[in-house]
Amino acid sequence: MALCKRRLSQRLGARQGPDALAWLPGRFDLGPVTAPPECAMIYQQLINGLMLGASYALVAVGYTLIFGVLNLLYFAHGEVFMVGAFVGLFLVLYAGVGIYGALLGAMVACALLGVISVFVAVRPVSRANPLAPLISTIGLTIVLQNLAVLIFGGQQVAFPETINQQLYRLGPVTIGSVQIFILAVALVLMALLWLFIEHTKMGRAIRATAENHETAALLGVDVNRVVLVTFMIGSGIAGVAGVLDGIKNSGVSPFMGLTAAVKGLIVMLLGGLGNVPGAMVAGVLLGIIEILSAAYIGTTERDFFSFLILILILLCRPTGLFGTRTTQER
Amino acid sequence: MLDRLIDGYTLSVLIFAGINVIAAYSFYVPFKTGQVSLGQAGFMAVGAYASAVATQKFAIPFPLALMFGGLLAGLIGVLVGFPALRIKGVYLLLLTLGFAEIISVIALSWDYVGGAQGFRGIRYNPYTLDYVIVIIVALIFFFSRLERSSLGRAMDSIHQDETAAEVMGIDVVRIKLLAFGLGALIAGLAGALYAHQATFMDSTTFNILLAVEILVFVVVGGASTYWGPLFGALVLNAFPEVLRALREWLELLPVQWVDFYPMSAVYSFLREFLDFENAKRLIAYGVILIVTMILRPNGLLTRDLMRQWHLARRKVGHA
Repeated sequence: MALCKRRLSQRLGARQGPDALAWLPGRFDLGPVTAPPECAMIYQQLINGLMLGASYALVAVGYTLIFGVLNLLYFAHGEVFMVGAFVGLFLVLYAGVGIYGALLGAMVACALLGVISVFVAVRPVSRANPLAPLISTIGLTIVLQNLAVLIFGGQQVAFPETINQQLYRLGPVTIGSVQIFILAVALVLMALLWLFIEHTKMGRAIRATAENHETAALLGVDVNRVVLVTFMIGSGIAGVAGVLDGIKNSGVSPFMGLTAAVKGLIVMLLGGLGNVPGAMVAGVLLGIIEILSAAYIGTTERDFFSFLILILILLCRPTGLFGTRTTQER
Repeated sequence: MLDRLIDGYTLSVLIFAGINVIAAYSFYVPFKTGQVSLGQAGFMAVGAYASAVATQKFAIPFPLALMFGGLLAGLIGVLVGFPALRIKGVYLLLLTLGFAEIISVIALSWDYVGGAQGFRGIRYNPYTLDYVIVIIVALIFFFSRLERSSLGRAMDSIHQDETAAEVMGIDVVRIKLLAFGLGALIAGLAGALYAHQATFMDSTTFNILLAVEILVFVVVGGASTYWGPLFGALVLNAFPEVLRALREWLELLPVQWVDFYPMSAVYSFLREFLDFENAKRLIAYGVILIVTMILRPNGLLTRDLMRQWHLARRKVGHA
């Protein structure tokens, strides 16, 4: 029994010490500690991947929208995501609003930021040299990131617990209420976006502009307004994604934008440039691939796989898994 | 040579600025054929790690290791250049970015080159500045010749319109591969010089931010003339030093110049802003990038501007 206890305590981690097992009845033999069965493990990982993928998808959707209408690699998108997370944190900490208020506030603030960035870094820059708007949005990235460093310091700031974490068992997997919340918000947002793009007048204008700038303008679409609306929507969604990410990792940092930006780029490409539903599916796909490769191969190889996928897609299927909506040569 | 004349701080600023100039030229060569690469940091990493392995593990003298690093990076550049032939624009940007990230993951997980601990104890090279100057001068000479050669004009024509160039009988594939490989080679040299100056590096040293910075040097400096990368890299590297000097100069201002109302507000704002916090300097840097792109979307130095200067000088000469 003593041996059994020791073995168990080793498995539970040294911190607990032997006393942690004092409650065990004397003649109760646990046998070998059972790991969750292999299939349950894979379901659990799939759920985790879905979670990660949902946040990738939310970032990538904005990217791909903006790329679609402007043909511009909007570098500051990751920083918009970061700003969203900080606005959410600020609202929760100082305004005392609930999580819904934080999400809404972040969305509005980031939509505003999107508009500002159009007026500051996109519209005044001539598009004759395609690299010029890229550089100006890089400049914006640097400004936003360092403003955050200046205000909040260079460290990660803890995100307070706003949702009561409860664990639910669904068959073989365990899922927390935080995870359910994040997934639900992401799904609702994506569904709303899809409805907007496919079934409203503005959505049709966005699709037309993405197809061809000049033709859309000739047919009476106010391209400048479309660009503005696109930035608002993309940035707003990125802001919500930032808050969700803050909840998930229970912390936000001024440097969280870069990873999000790079992953968002990969997802955008995987889904096909300018293809919104493609970006949604591709985000989930990349999340699952990353989690599975981290779980079964190794955490350092995780990024290796996502970039390998990026390169393979570029070489074998440059239009992405689901094809691009825009057909112009890039 | 020069290190006897200037102090250590200035020396290291000069050296890293010089390495950045070389890196900027490594971006400029493939860009001359219209290939935008965010992978130059990856090629720098290849050169840096290869040369550091050569000097540390095989005790090869630095000049040989430098060449080895450059050539290996160039070779890998040609290999990456093959798939890069098929794609353009944003796709190429992402391909090269992915390549650089894969290099960094390899550096992180390969214990022979230090793995997560980083590559430590690289032999310090006391003559880095001399190497840097020689390489920059050689590069400028090379580009000044290239500009007027048939190869240089072929590169420009590929940049303008690939199909038209091909129709004119230019071997587009060969020239694009050559440009990509040459760019990678130059990046490899910059990386090798960096490694033996900093004596430490890890998988995050040559990251995407560095690649972006290299791109920024060239575009801000002006990518239509070979003086652009030099100018851009020098100006943007000098910028934080200028701010630093400005702050020191502020301290020396006579009090009676700044103690009346509008000046005192400006003075205290500047003092507040120019304290030695990195974030503020970077904010100013970002603002300058945006403003530059609004005012001069083709970069500070453009080919037209250079031509105007040339003509003006010639007129002065005749008069």
